[in-house]
Amino acid sequence: MATDPTISLKIRTALGEYLKRDPATILIRQHLRDDLGLDSMAVIELLYRIEEAFDLQIPDQDLVGLTSVGHVVSYVEKRLKKTASPAPIKKPAKQHKPKSKKKS
Amino acid sequence: MRARVVVTGLGVVSPIGIGVSEFWKAALAGQSGISAITSFDPFSMDGYRSKVAGQVRDFAVERFLDSAHGERVDRYAQFGLVAAKEALADSGLQMAKENPHRVGVIVGAGMGGMVMGEREITQLYQQQKPHRVHPNFIPVITLNSASGIIAMAYGAKGPNLTISTACSSSAHALGLALHCIREGRADVVITVGADASITPLVFAGFCSLRALSSKFNDQPEKASRPFDRLRDGFVMGEGAGTLILESAAHAKKRKARVYAEIAGYAATSEAYHMVIPREDGVDVAYTMKLALADAGMTPAQVDYINAHATSTTIGDAVEAKAIRQLFKSRADKIAISATKSLIGHTLGAAGAIGGIASVLALHTGQIHPTANYDDPDPACALAGLSRSAQERRVKVALLNAFGFGSNNAAVVFKQGTK
Repeated sequence: MATDPTISLKIRTALGEYLKRDPATILIRQHLRDDLGLDSMAVIELLYRIEEAFDLQIPDQDLVGLTSVGHVVSYVEKRLKKTASPAPIKKPAKQHKPKSKKKS
Repeated sequence: MRARVVVTGLGVVSPIGIGVSEFWKAALAGQSGISAITSFDPFSMDGYRSKVAGQVRDFAVERFLDSAHGERVDRYAQFGLVAAKEALADSGLQMAKENPHRVGVIVGAGMGGMVMGEREITQLYQQQKPHRVHPNFIPVITLNSASGIIAMAYGAKGPNLTISTACSSSAHALGLALHCIREGRADVVITVGADASITPLVFAGFCSLRALSSKFNDQPEKASRPFDRLRDGFVMGEGAGTLILESAAHAKKRKARVYAEIAGYAATSEAYHMVIPREDGVDVAYTMKLALADAGMTPAQVDYINAHATSTTIGDAVEAKAIRQLFKSRADKIAISATKSLIGHTLGAAGAIGGIASVLALHTGQIHPTANYDDPDPACALAGLSRSAQERRVKVALLNAFGFGSNNAAVVFKQGTK
């Protein structure tokens, strides 16, 4: 998967900080849940960091597709390209198909 | 022999009606109390992922109370006071004739006084004027403000407790009240669930948790859809429910009308995750089983389940799985309904309001519909769910409630003797 090295590094750094491990050991092909051990809440916390790092708002329905490091990187790339880069994306897209994993 | 405990009075403040008769009529009609949030003004809703909630409209405490008790407490405690007033009147209990030390108040509240809490915190941080923090700030936000003010309003000097276990708070309050009377520590417990935290910060927090529905912002009444394939998160609600619990002997002595008996209760922890339930449903099934055992009953006796059913993807599926595990082939014979489909998730009030729906099912033989159960999700389809009101004789009802912090509660009600 061809990815923007800056975006990829920023995301792997955020993941490394979250997981308290060296970002160099985090690979693009790794699955967030199966390889990195993130549960659904941890994915939400990670995306919260990424939203801040890239000044993005990620709508609920986009969470479904974000299952690997590579998915997150290409998602962020796509979102940043959609706007006149580097202007931030402020508005959530039209919404459909989110997933909710909460209990209460 | 331990004391039997009965329910003799009901009161409710809800997004579909203030007062039990209004609430129940709307519930049986499947009326939705979910609408676009309008109370955040001057805050814009633009930045919120979810924009809908079950709000109690046009609530002014002075319209409901003769006393000044509601003036200096937060909205959740006002709801509690109003629901307690109705329930006490409904029960016919006259405090002047009671030993006040034998009447307790137990409240379940999840968030508490967040209306004032948010306002004062914001002002302090913006203005940096600590001397301008309101003198009533601490009494208002202290989580037992509702149980305190209700006791003061009625001179109830018995056990006065508040339990906060997030979304299951008032189911546990019912359980504690049951224990309290069983153990002979009180004759009567005014048992309340109350929450009013559809506030800019709390609501934003639930949005950030990705716990709320965001797919139906343009069709608010469709947003809360437990067990339906298109469900995408819960819808916040607010309100209060009160049940007057008393020993059967005490009720008999004063010739009180008995709605139902509260016969069993169980509390467990999954010891698993702050917000995610165990997917195998084992602990939920165990909790229901334990509550039935406490009532001296078996799963084969249950006719109706008031499900926790918040409309989240995983939560509803786990509850349905647990119901199948415990009840086996009987699972499809039990009538089931989700009160949150009508009013949203009232957090700390949910157990009490679900308890009221359970008691009314026993008392009237009517079960309210589960709104928006349009396309049953195969992961949690149960034959006893219906978009329409159901009429059937209910002898035993089970109330489920689960909360953040990995906790579960189940309460068993059964038909009471007159």
